[in-house]
Amino acid sequence: MAVAPNHELHERAAALSANLPPLMVAADRVASTVAQGMHGRRRVGQGESFWQYRHYEWGDPIKSIDWRRSGKSDLVYLRENEWEAAQSVWLWCDSSPSMDYTSLRKLPSKKDRAQLLTLALGSLLIRGGEHIAALGRHMRPTMGRTALFLMAQALAETHSQTGIASLPPFEPLPRYGRVVLISDFLEPLDDLRRAIGLLADRGVDGYVLQVLDPSETDLPFTGRTRFEGMEKEGNALIGRVEGVREDYRATLSEHQQGLKDIARVSGWNYGLHITDRPAEEALLRLFVSLGIAREHNNV
Amino acid sequence: MFSLGALSFAAPVALLALAAVPVLWWLLRVIPPAPKRVRFPAIRLIMRLVNPEESSAKTPLWLTLLRIALILMVIIGAAHPILNAQNSVIASGPLVLVVDDDWAAARNWQARQRSMGQLLDRAQRDGRPVAVVTTSPGEARSRAADSLMTADAAREVVQALEPKPWPADRLAAAALIDALAANPAIGKSAQVMWLSNGLDAGSANEFSKHLATLGSVTVLSEDAGNLPALMMPPTSERNGLTLHARRPTTGTGDELKIQVRDDRGGVLARKTMNFESGKTSGDLALELPVELRNRIATIEAEDQKTAGSMVLVDERWRRRPVGIIAGVDRKSDQPLLDDIYYLERALDPFTEVRTGVLADLLKREVAMLIVPDTGRLGDADRTQIETWLSKGGFVLRFAGPRLAQSADALLPVRLRQGDRDLGGALSWAKPASLAPFDETSPFHGLTIAGDIRIRRQVLAQPTVDLGEKTWARLADGTPLVTAEKRGDGWLVFVHTTASPDWSNLPLSGLFVGMLQNLVQLSRGIAGNADDRLLTPLQTVDGFGRLGTVRAGARAMRGNAFEETPVGPDHPPGFYGDESARRAFNLAPKIGSLEPIAALQSDVVRGSYEEATERDVRGGLLMTALILALIDIVASLFLRGFFNFTRNVTAGIALLLIGFAAHDAAAQINVAPPALPRAADEDTRAFAPSLTVRLAYYKTGDSSIDARSRAGLSGLSFIANTRTAAELGEPIGIDPATDDLSFFPLIYWPLSDSAPALNAQIGERINRYMKSGGTILFDTRDGDGASQASARLQDMGRFLDLPPLMAIPSDHILTKSYYLLRDLPGRFTGGRVWVERDGLKANDGVSSIIVGPNDWASAWAMDESKKPIYPTVPGGEKQREQAYRFGVNLIMYALTGNYKGDQVHLPSIMERLGQ
Repeated sequence: MAVAPNHELHERAAALSANLPPLMVAADRVASTVAQGMHGRRRVGQGESFWQYRHYEWGDPIKSIDWRRSGKSDLVYLRENEWEAAQSVWLWCDSSPSMDYTSLRKLPSKKDRAQLLTLALGSLLIRGGEHIAALGRHMRPTMGRTALFLMAQALAETHSQTGIASLPPFEPLPRYGRVVLISDFLEPLDDLRRAIGLLADRGVDGYVLQVLDPSETDLPFTGRTRFEGMEKEGNALIGRVEGVREDYRATLSEHQQGLKDIARVSGWNYGLHITDRPAEEALLRLFVSLGIAREHNNV
Repeated sequence: MFSLGALSFAAPVALLALAAVPVLWWLLRVIPPAPKRVRFPAIRLIMRLVNPEESSAKTPLWLTLLRIALILMVIIGAAHPILNAQNSVIASGPLVLVVDDDWAAARNWQARQRSMGQLLDRAQRDGRPVAVVTTSPGEARSRAADSLMTADAAREVVQALEPKPWPADRLAAAALIDALAANPAIGKSAQVMWLSNGLDAGSANEFSKHLATLGSVTVLSEDAGNLPALMMPPTSERNGLTLHARRPTTGTGDELKIQVRDDRGGVLARKTMNFESGKTSGDLALELPVELRNRIATIEAEDQKTAGSMVLVDERWRRRPVGIIAGVDRKSDQPLLDDIYYLERALDPFTEVRTGVLADLLKREVAMLIVPDTGRLGDADRTQIETWLSKGGFVLRFAGPRLAQSADALLPVRLRQGDRDLGGALSWAKPASLAPFDETSPFHGLTIAGDIRIRRQVLAQPTVDLGEKTWARLADGTPLVTAEKRGDGWLVFVHTTASPDWSNLPLSGLFVGMLQNLVQLSRGIAGNADDRLLTPLQTVDGFGRLGTVRAGARAMRGNAFEETPVGPDHPPGFYGDESARRAFNLAPKIGSLEPIAALQSDVVRGSYEEATERDVRGGLLMTALILALIDIVASLFLRGFFNFTRNVTAGIALLLIGFAAHDAAAQINVAPPALPRAADEDTRAFAPSLTVRLAYYKTGDSSIDARSRAGLSGLSFIANTRTAAELGEPIGIDPATDDLSFFPLIYWPLSDSAPALNAQIGERINRYMKSGGTILFDTRDGDGASQASARLQDMGRFLDLPPLMAIPSDHILTKSYYLLRDLPGRFTGGRVWVERDGLKANDGVSSIIVGPNDWASAWAMDESKKPIYPTVPGGEKQREQAYRFGVNLIMYALTGNYKGDQVHLPSIMERLGQ
């Protein structure tokens, strides 16, 4: 990162942190909704909590003797926590200009929704004791509230930086790491295949969540319309938009099928979220899907 | 100037631009609209699409039409169109205004003034001289203006004109026309506008010939339906009056709304007279109680307002109650032998007859007392009659066998003992006939039928003044009717019986006539004083208003009313003095009431209702501007500028269209679009019916209304928290439109700014009170000594208010929920009035409560349920008392006298126990 004058950094940090709390609060709210919904599925003993007492055996470190328990009887007990190795999840949220789009004022932009989902997922994972990191920033996966804050900061920074590619960046991830990619994935399929393939080749498990605006699925425009790209792709003039609507849908589903195929080849999961649906729905699906994948992997 | 029907163009050259419209049409259709621009992330997908059709490249048809309409408006607007342009024929030469300014013109005088104003405007524009000739004789000397004047001077003359309460005299005016024709400045070049009254009066054609000597003649007259009607004097009937009216035409559906008023202008009755189709006259029976009938002073057609549409009514149309003293044993087996029978039959058609003992009769107002032959009057009776006589009463006595035996002092003359029998078995004389009445006699003028014979009479002692006292005598000179003035009254004595016992006079019409004249006399109208000069007392003006005497009105002889014509010397009105006044009406003097028939062929006819000139350029250009705005919005919309804010756009467009419609309405003066009925009308109707609510009267003064609302809202809150009553939010009501029946209690603050009640609203409120509603009138002034009390009295004229009393300390209001000693509001100590006890209507619940304590202010609460206004003299204790009164009031309105019954519970229980 370029060296910035001190006061500028301060200003930026202040501006960023001003934005953070509402987003984090919203993310927490969404996450807690889902966590409550997931309540019955949570397994006992996950995280750092108490798991069992067992008798002292030769070679056990004296430090781990639970003296309170041992004082109640003649035997010496050890307190053993169920300590499962935490998973590390790298999250990536597309912040390119094409994400900054909404067709109706009352809907959130794709970017808002993607960031919300990213943070909410992060929050949910941290509650589950996992480690999270933002992909492409060469961060060490961390856990706890700090991790979430770092995540939010990373999002906000990319948010403020323009010109970020709309493709997931490559980072040498450890094996069995997990990646969640949230974007509109409207890039050409070849580019997508290459970017995802690089990650998948490291043996990383992953999830692809495509976030689309309702107008991108339905093309509700009519009449003579000139479409302009948001990332300098050029423009296209359509005489009667209603005439090409079916063709457009076909093209879109073709593209989505291509994306699904890319994911399937890599053993990844694919999900679609439209911004007029509630965020909780996508988050739940994402979380369940991650959980199932983990179970599958663990067993 | 170029004109198309009613539309004329001041600058028709601009219309040439219309030729370019088809080209514009083609251009508009060919040039495609700019595409909408949409930023779209999935552009790559779109770019992969093959674009099959390139249609919709043309502007939508509706937009093209809109634009063409816009251009047409601008072009036509530029041509300066004028609707109903009237100066299409430009007249030259002087303008002669001939105005019928008689009674009939008053009906539509405004239109005449307007027409004259417009004519003078035009004359002024063209710089033409003007002459004004009026056809009614009158004090306005403008009709002598045989010289020409400027339009400005003429305007002054015209504005000073007003209709006269007498008919026009066109033939006299014709002489003036001839004088004008002799003026060389006029010659035959004048434009004559005759603003006629629309009535022929037998002279229209003749007059128009005179007018034609001046130049071209245009006659303006009303449509047949707008001609004035005549209200004729009514005729007396047994139960009232029959009203008569005439109208000039025989169309259908005509009706006259008739008002009957008393001296002070108070309305006694309102009726509608329908003319039968094909008839020019209409009748209407008007039944009124005698007391009301005697107060009638004028009868007028409400919406006509002419001197002919009102008729003055004097004593001749009044019925006067006549009392006949009857003995206690009045049940006669043979009514045909009874004096009273004949008197009643004779008096009944024109008076109200009351029969009874003296004491009963004198309890009510009686104009005349008839004492038939009842023998000797008791001393007490006689004193009573004498007192009444001296105060102006009129007593008529009849002789009879009993009187003949024992005459008393209550007679105008002293009588000889016994009676005189003419033509009896013991007499040589023939039954006597009547001598002609003297000129001084009130009976003068009645015809005496030849076959009237008096067979018996009582005779007067001859005295010096007997001749003066005699009003009627027999052929042989013996008096038949004698009279004497006693105090202010008259004592009249008929020397024979009122039954056919002694004569056949009671069977004759003369008897009726004599009684009628006597009844007239009983009001102090001396029939023989008819040649007195009667000075005008009140006269009628041209618009049918009775007012002060018109300048120039002169006295008239009493007997000349019939033949005197109505005119400036003798305008219609009341003549005489306050005690005896006579009506001099215009209507009977008016002969034919025909509309102007065919005139000469070269006379142009017109009407006052012609549409006035209207410049439509402004309206057209305004509409064009609005269309341009719509076009801009539509274009922006089509190009996608508004696609995120579709609703907003629609709103703006609607707003613009609304403005457009409104402006267009204002400009072009078409009828404004009907206001949409409030969609929540149903909710409005349901709201009061689904929950119990208090209501307050909307005075129209927003501060008072807000206070009432806050007050009732606070009171509802208190009642809801403290009692089992569940009250909704209070509602403001307008008794003219809202249904009152849903509300148990209406709080009615009195305010000077509130609209005045009228009879219809009063009727609704009366119905509400009768059907169990309670109204709390609050004069809000603390001590009841302000204007508000006067307002309450004023309202009382329309309300059916029960007798009131100051609230007693044990009234149910003081114990219906809380036990209260006084009933304070914001003020305390004001006296509260309720309906008097013992009125069994509404189960003893007072339908009105009146007080000055400004309760609503004491009850008023703000959002956080804190009181708003301080109490006077103060203290929350007083406010608490005010709340308690409010709760009591609600309980009283909701549960009625239930607590009143509870009072008797101990005694009931006691009785049941035993």
